[in-house]
Amino acid sequence: MQVFNAFMKIMKKKVVISVMYLWVFAIIGIAIAFSDGGTALFEQNSLRICVFDEDNTPESRALCDFLDKDNELVTLENDRDIILDALYYDRVNYVLTIKKGYAEKLAAGNTDDLFESMKMHDSYSTVYMGQILNEYAGTVSAFIAGGNDVVTSVGKAADVLSQDAEVNTASFGEEDNAVLSGNASLFFRYLPYIILGTVMSTLCPVLLKLGKKDIRFRTNCSGLSPGSYMVQLFAASTVFITAVWLVFMVIGAIINGGMYSGTAWLAVLNSFIYTLFSAAMTVFVVSFEPSNLVLTILTQIFTLSTSFLCGIFIQQEFLGDSVLAAARFMPTYWYVRVNRMLAGEEPFDSSLAVTSLLIETAFAAAFAVLAVLVRRAWYGRASAVTA
Amino acid sequence: MKNTVVKAENIIKRYGDLVALDHFSLEISEGEIFGLLGPNGSGKTTTINCILSLLSFDKGSIEIFGKPMTPTSYDIKKNIGVIMQNVAVFDELTVYENIDYFCGLYITDKAQRKQYVDEAVEFVGLEDFLRFRPKKLSGGLLRRLNIACGIAHKPKLIILDEPTVAVDPQSRNRILEGIEELNRNGATVIYTSHYMEEVEQICTRIAIMDKGKKIAEGTKDELKRMIRNTETVTIEILGLEDRIKDRISTLPHVYSTEYDGTKLTVGCSGGKHNLVRILGVLQENDLSFGRVYSELPTLNDVFLEITGKALRDKED
Amino acid sequence: MFLHNLKYELLSTLRHPALIFWLMLFPIFLGTVFKIGFGSIYEEDTLFSSIPTAVVETADNSILREVVDAVSGDDSPLLKTTYTDEDTALEMLRSGEVKGIICSGDKVTLTVKNSGIEQSILKSFIEQYGVYETIIKDTLENDPANAQKVIAALSADVKACTEKPVTQGNTDLFVQYFYNLIAMVAIFGSETGLHITKDNQANMSSLGARRNISPTPKSISLSASLVGCFIAQAVCMVICVTFIVFVLKVDLGGDLLLVYASSIVGGCLGVTMGFLIGSIARISADAKDAVSMSVSMAFCFLSGLFISNIKGIIADTVPWVNSINPVAIISDCFYCLNLYNDYTRYSVKMISMAIYIVLFSALGVILTRRKKYASI
Repeated sequence: MQVFNAFMKIMKKKVVISVMYLWVFAIIGIAIAFSDGGTALFEQNSLRICVFDEDNTPESRALCDFLDKDNELVTLENDRDIILDALYYDRVNYVLTIKKGYAEKLAAGNTDDLFESMKMHDSYSTVYMGQILNEYAGTVSAFIAGGNDVVTSVGKAADVLSQDAEVNTASFGEEDNAVLSGNASLFFRYLPYIILGTVMSTLCPVLLKLGKKDIRFRTNCSGLSPGSYMVQLFAASTVFITAVWLVFMVIGAIINGGMYSGTAWLAVLNSFIYTLFSAAMTVFVVSFEPSNLVLTILTQIFTLSTSFLCGIFIQQEFLGDSVLAAARFMPTYWYVRVNRMLAGEEPFDSSLAVTSLLIETAFAAAFAVLAVLVRRAWYGRASAVTA
Repeated sequence: MKNTVVKAENIIKRYGDLVALDHFSLEISEGEIFGLLGPNGSGKTTTINCILSLLSFDKGSIEIFGKPMTPTSYDIKKNIGVIMQNVAVFDELTVYENIDYFCGLYITDKAQRKQYVDEAVEFVGLEDFLRFRPKKLSGGLLRRLNIACGIAHKPKLIILDEPTVAVDPQSRNRILEGIEELNRNGATVIYTSHYMEEVEQICTRIAIMDKGKKIAEGTKDELKRMIRNTETVTIEILGLEDRIKDRISTLPHVYSTEYDGTKLTVGCSGGKHNLVRILGVLQENDLSFGRVYSELPTLNDVFLEITGKALRDKED
Repeated sequence: MFLHNLKYELLSTLRHPALIFWLMLFPIFLGTVFKIGFGSIYEEDTLFSSIPTAVVETADNSILREVVDAVSGDDSPLLKTTYTDEDTALEMLRSGEVKGIICSGDKVTLTVKNSGIEQSILKSFIEQYGVYETIIKDTLENDPANAQKVIAALSADVKACTEKPVTQGNTDLFVQYFYNLIAMVAIFGSETGLHITKDNQANMSSLGARRNISPTPKSISLSASLVGCFIAQAVCMVICVTFIVFVLKVDLGGDLLLVYASSIVGGCLGVTMGFLIGSIARISADAKDAVSMSVSMAFCFLSGLFISNIKGIIADTVPWVNSINPVAIISDCFYCLNLYNDYTRYSVKMISMAIYIVLFSALGVILTRRKKYASI
C-alpha cells in the first residue's frame, strides 16, 4: 500500500492545483451546456433577419410584418462593421435593405431591384430569403396586374403566402429518442474534452513526482515487485479519477435538471469508461517521463485533436468520411457515437452501444498494458545505461 | 594591520519565530582563508546570503571592502566570486559557454574575458570537456564547472559554500589546492564546510557557528587551546580492575578515564609525559597491554566539546 | 552587457529542445488536424449547393414538371432532382441521399425527414408553386380578362433583390479556428515567459541567485531575458503562420505581412503574460504552470476555440469581455485584417496588444524589483 499512500499524500499537497483545473474545466463544461453549442450554425428554420427600411411606407412595413411572421426580426446599427460581425458570428442570418421607392416601383409593376441584401457568402439563408422575396414581389405584382391597388395586393399576397404547404415528415421509426435534456446532452458531448483535460492536468504532476528517476530507482531497489507497483499506481489513479468523474456527474445531473433515468445511465457508464481510458492513457504518457512543458503541450494536442476529429467540437455529421474513418481508431469517436444516440441525433441501436462501450474499454485496457510494457522497456533501458 | 574585507556586525535574521542569525559578527582581513564551520542548520549559508545581500536581515550592518553592501553595490559585486552550494549552471549551455556567460556578467572586454575563461578552464582542469553539456558531466566535474563559473573573473573575495559536497577525494584535493592557489594569488576566501579536515587543512582562521551564534573564533591552534583536552591516550588492555582505573584517574592532568572491557581511554589536559605516567601505573601492577595510541586533539574534538554534538554529513 | 546576456538567453532558450520542439510542433499538428477535420465543411455545408430532391409523379402534372425542370437546369440550380417512384424515393430520403420528396398528386406535397434550412427552401418552393397555381386559377375564374397580364407577371423573371457582398475577405467561417490556433500558440508564449522570473529571482533558483550577486543590474538581465523570449517566441509564431499559410494553404485573408506582424506581437503578449504570472506572489512552479495554463485555456475558450460562435454570444451579451480577452484580441487582429476594408479596428486591436505588453511587463518588473529576499 506504500505507493498508493504516497500517491494520495502527494495528491493532497497538489489539491489546490487539481481543484483549480477541475473548476476551470467544469466552468467550461457548464458554459458549453448553456450556450447553443454551435448547432444553430447549420440547422435552423426561423431566420434572424435585420431589416433597414429606407422606404418606410405602409407597403414596406407590410413586408416587415410579413417577414416577422416566420422569422425573428432583429435590430442592428446600420454600420458595415457591426453588420459584418453579426453576419460572421451568425448572430444574424440575413440583412435586408428595402430601398427607397419600393412602394412606387411595386405599384408600377416593376419588381426588379427592390431590395438590397448584405451577404457574407452564398449561404442557404441567402438563397432561401432571395426565393421568399422574389415570391413575395412576384405575387404582389401579379395581384396588381390583376387590377388590384397596391395596398390590397400586398394584403392579398400576405394572405396567400401564409398558406402553408402540406409537409409530411417521414418517420422511419426514428422518433425522438433523446434521453438527456438538450443542455445535458451538450455537456456530455463535450465531456471527453473536459475529462481528458482534467485527468491529464491533475494526474500527471503526481505521477511525475512518483516516477522521478531517483525515487524510481529507490523503489526499484526495494522489495516491491513491479507488478504490485503498477497495480497500486492504477488503483490510486482510479480512486482519484473516480472522484473527479463523480464531480462531473453531479454537475451533469444538475444540468440535466434531475437524476439520470433509464438509458441515461448509459451516458454515465459511457463517461466512466472514458474516464478510465483517460487515466490509463495518462499513466502511459507519463511512462515516457516527459517534462512539465511537454506534458502541458501533449495534453493540449491530445484533448484538442481528439475533440476536433471525433465529433465533439464539430458534430460528426459535418466531418468528412475520411476523417471519421480515421476517428474510429480513437475511443473518443465511440464515446461520441453512444452520446449521439442518447441525445437523439442518431437512432438508438443497443448492439452498437454495447460495441462502442466495449471498444472504449478495450482502449483503456490496451493503454494500461502499454503503460506496463513501456515502463518495463524504458526503465530497463534506463537502468542498463546507468549501470 | 591588513585591510578588512568583510565586516558584519550584530546581524539578526529571523524566519518567523526561528532566529537564524543571533547577533552574529564577523571580521575578515585581506589574504585570509576564513573557515565557517558549523553543523547543519547552524546558519552558515544564511550568513553567506546575508553578506551577499541576497537575504534581508532584521538588524545589523554589513560592509565589504569598507563600503556598505546593498543589492545595487555593483562595484563591490564586481570583485566577489561565489560558489554556491547548489550547482547553478545552464543545462542548455556547454561548459565553455556557461563559464563565458557568467564571466561576461563581470568582464565586458571580450579579449580579456576570453583569456580569463581559458584560465578558469585550465584552473579547474575541464579542458577536455569544453563542448559537454552539464548533464553529461560527473558529479566532481560538475562541481569544478560550478567553481569555474564563480571564479573566472578573478575576484578579490571568493565565497565558497560547501563546494566539496559529494565530491570524490581526488577532485576534493584538487579543489582545495585550487583554493589555496587562488589565495596565494591574492584572493581573500570565505569557506564554509562541515568537513573538519578540509577546514583544518586550508583555513588560516576559523569561526564555529551553532544555532545562529558564533561560539568560537581563532586560528586552529587557538581553538584547540580553548578546550580542556590536549591529549587522548588509548590503551588496549584486558581485565583491568576498577582499583587500577581509579589509580590512573588520580594521576596529574588526567580528567577522564573510561574502560569498556578491552580499551582504556584516558583524557588529559595539559602537562607533559602523560603517556609515560599512565604506562608506569600499568607496569607497577604487572599488567600486560596491547597497542597504545596517543592523539592530539582535532577540530572535531573542539567542535564536539564546544557544541556538544557531532557533525553530520548532509545539509538539511 | 545587454547583448552578452541576450546572446546566452537566446542560446539557452533555443537549445531548450522541449520548448522549441513542442511550441513548433503544436501548431503544426493541430493545424493539420484542423485542415483535415474541416477542410471541406465550409464548401459542403455552409455554402449553398443544389438541394437533392426526389420527385414522384403520381398524377400527370406537366406544369410542375416544367417548373421543377426550370429550377434544376440553371448554371447554379436550386434543386438536383431525381424522378423516381415512391418506394425508392422514401429509401433515398431515409438514407439521406435526398433532402425531400416532392409528390405531385391532386395536390403537390412535400415529404421530409427532419426540419432544416434545406427543407424550408423546398417548402417555400412548393408553396410558391401552389400560390401561383391558386392565383392563376382564381384569375381565370373571376377575372379572365386580366389572366394574360397576371400570368405574364407571374412568369416574369423576378430579381427583386441585389446581393452585395459585405466583405472582400475570405468568408470561410472555419478560418477562425486557425485564427484561434495562432492566438493559442501566441498565448502559450506564457510558458516561455514563465522561466524569466525563475531564472532571475534569487529565491527561485540558484541560477537566479548567481545572477543576483553579479554586478549586472537586474534591469539588464531581466530585459535581456524578455527580449530573448520575444525573439524565440517570434520564431515559433513565424513558423506557425508559415506552416498554416504555405503548407496547409489556408487563406487567412488580409495582408500577409501584417498577419505575421500581428502574430509576433501576439506572441510577445503571451510571453509577458507568462512573465507576469511568474512574478506573482510566491506560489510553487507547478502552481504557476497551472495558473498560466488555466488562464490561457479559459481565454481560448472565450475566444471560440471550442465553440466557434461563443465570441458572437459574448459580443451580444458582454462585449467588454471580447475587448479585454487577450486571445480574442489576437484572433480579432486576423479577423479584422481579413474582413474589414480599413485598418481602424485592426489598429485598435494592435494598440490593445501593445498596452497589454507594456502593462504586463511593467507589473512583472514591479513585482520582481525586490532585490533582497526574506528567505531563499
